[in-house]
Amino acid sequence: MVGFAILWLLPAVWVLVTSLKLTENIIRVPPEWIPWPATLVHYGEVLFSSSRTARIGRAFVNSAIVSVGTVALVVLTSAMAAYPLARMRFRGRNVIFALLVGSLMIPNAVVLVPQYILTHRLGWLSTYQGLIVPEAAMTFAFGVFLLRQFFLTMPAELEDAARIDGAGPWRIFTRILLPLSQPALGALAIFAFRSAWNDFLWPLIAVNKPEMFPLPVALALLRGAYSSESYGPIMAGATLSALPLLVVFLLANRRIIEGARVSGLKG
Amino acid sequence: MVRRGALTPYLFLAPGLALFVAFRVYPLLDGLRLSFTNARLGRAQYAFVGLANYERLLEDTRFHASLVNTAFYAVASTLPILAIPLLLAVALNRGIALRTFLRSAFFFPFTLSVVTVGLTWLWLLDPVVGPFNYYLKALGIPVRSWLADPTTAMWAIIVTSVWWVTGYYLVIYLAGLQDIPRELYEAAALDGAGGARAFWAITLPLLRPVFLFVFVTHVIGSFQIFGQVFILTQGGPGDATRTVVQHLYETAFQNFFLFGSASAMAWVLFALILVFSLLQFRLLRGHTQY
Repeated sequence: MVGFAILWLLPAVWVLVTSLKLTENIIRVPPEWIPWPATLVHYGEVLFSSSRTARIGRAFVNSAIVSVGTVALVVLTSAMAAYPLARMRFRGRNVIFALLVGSLMIPNAVVLVPQYILTHRLGWLSTYQGLIVPEAAMTFAFGVFLLRQFFLTMPAELEDAARIDGAGPWRIFTRILLPLSQPALGALAIFAFRSAWNDFLWPLIAVNKPEMFPLPVALALLRGAYSSESYGPIMAGATLSALPLLVVFLLANRRIIEGARVSGLKG
Repeated sequence: MVRRGALTPYLFLAPGLALFVAFRVYPLLDGLRLSFTNARLGRAQYAFVGLANYERLLEDTRFHASLVNTAFYAVASTLPILAIPLLLAVALNRGIALRTFLRSAFFFPFTLSVVTVGLTWLWLLDPVVGPFNYYLKALGIPVRSWLADPTTAMWAIIVTSVWWVTGYYLVIYLAGLQDIPRELYEAAALDGAGGARAFWAITLPLLRPVFLFVFVTHVIGSFQIFGQVFILTQGGPGDATRTVVQHLYETAFQNFFLFGSASAMAWVLFALILVFSLLQFRLLRGHTQY
């Protein structure tokens, strides 16, 4: 089992090893698994060379802005919407919730063209908001579903006590519900970050200025810009793009797995 | 006058619902409308053309090829996607040492973007200098240029996808396995039903809802496969790995900018996904009681 797990990781190891090799050693056969002499020259090239069609350094910043913006928007809107759906009685509640859950079935590819036209009309093509808002809309319904489940498990006494003390709904939401929901909010934040950081199809269409490309698009175009012999810079770019989620993954392993597990309940 | 507080739930819902309606519901319906028009990129005026876009799809041989390829991908990848994570989950569920490390190792590829995954396998499968062919040769297995051969290109894409998503389904299966009461296995053991027999008689039947979820999720995802193909083969060789979403993407944004026609494709795809999902729930739901 351990052997199989290591075998499973070998493709990723190979990417890392390649990115650290000198260009002339990369294509050497038989494959060398120890990058010696090691070099960071490919990282320097993709990060700082201005001659390439898409600079990975800039793309990294773009991806970070878009992903953080998406996380903030998704967590805020989902939490606000999940609160009344879980803890208030009002007309239309069940219909709204059913619509949101039903929308989880909408394939992203189906809304691609009209979403492009809408984004174009708003003047948002090749802008951060043109990536953030649609990405957030993609994850919103799932976020509501996840947080509603969590809010439902909270004891009503907490709210009642606050209400007797004169707290309004907004105060209850920000002072009681949100602080107690950190595990669920964290799981949603990681889920939203992962899907925004890794999304490819929407930014491929919605961005046509190289300086606005997020990482997946910049990397995909890097593949076209290099000949097949120059894997070094491509693999350096691939490694860089994997780093943030790897760090999050190492720090919050349990929470990611929990988030993925809960996402499995959405079906 | 509205009772004080009656508006509160709607105020909380408003920002999210605005986002949801503007960027999910409206585009979905607008796509249906566009599919009956001859809209193009940059064309301000366009006309209603009835079913012309759908009729054209009936004659579009590349669209047919993409449907067949997508269906092939969905069918051929289903067994490995159902079986490999299950076997890993059963092994991990035995409480073996290094469990967290193992689970993380299998999960790790799922944290990567489809582009990174595609580039990884492009490099591994490089016909001349890639390690994959080198080790196959060393083992005496005949090699070829997997991605350039129409008979193997789709299989290479399937392998890539399996590597990418196995960890995700593994986690889902593990959760399902942990929900099975241990007493069932203890009772079975008392009756003399050990490992394999317990697997067939207890584990598999009780995992049925999980199978349903994995199966439906995977097939719906398969219908939309795009990134792997975009990076690994661009739909080639010939049209051997062209998929529906790729065809849609090229029709709308790369070659012809035909928004009406692409919207018709999107709705055919949506209809297929809907029919398939409803069918699955119908067929399998009746059997999930135990």
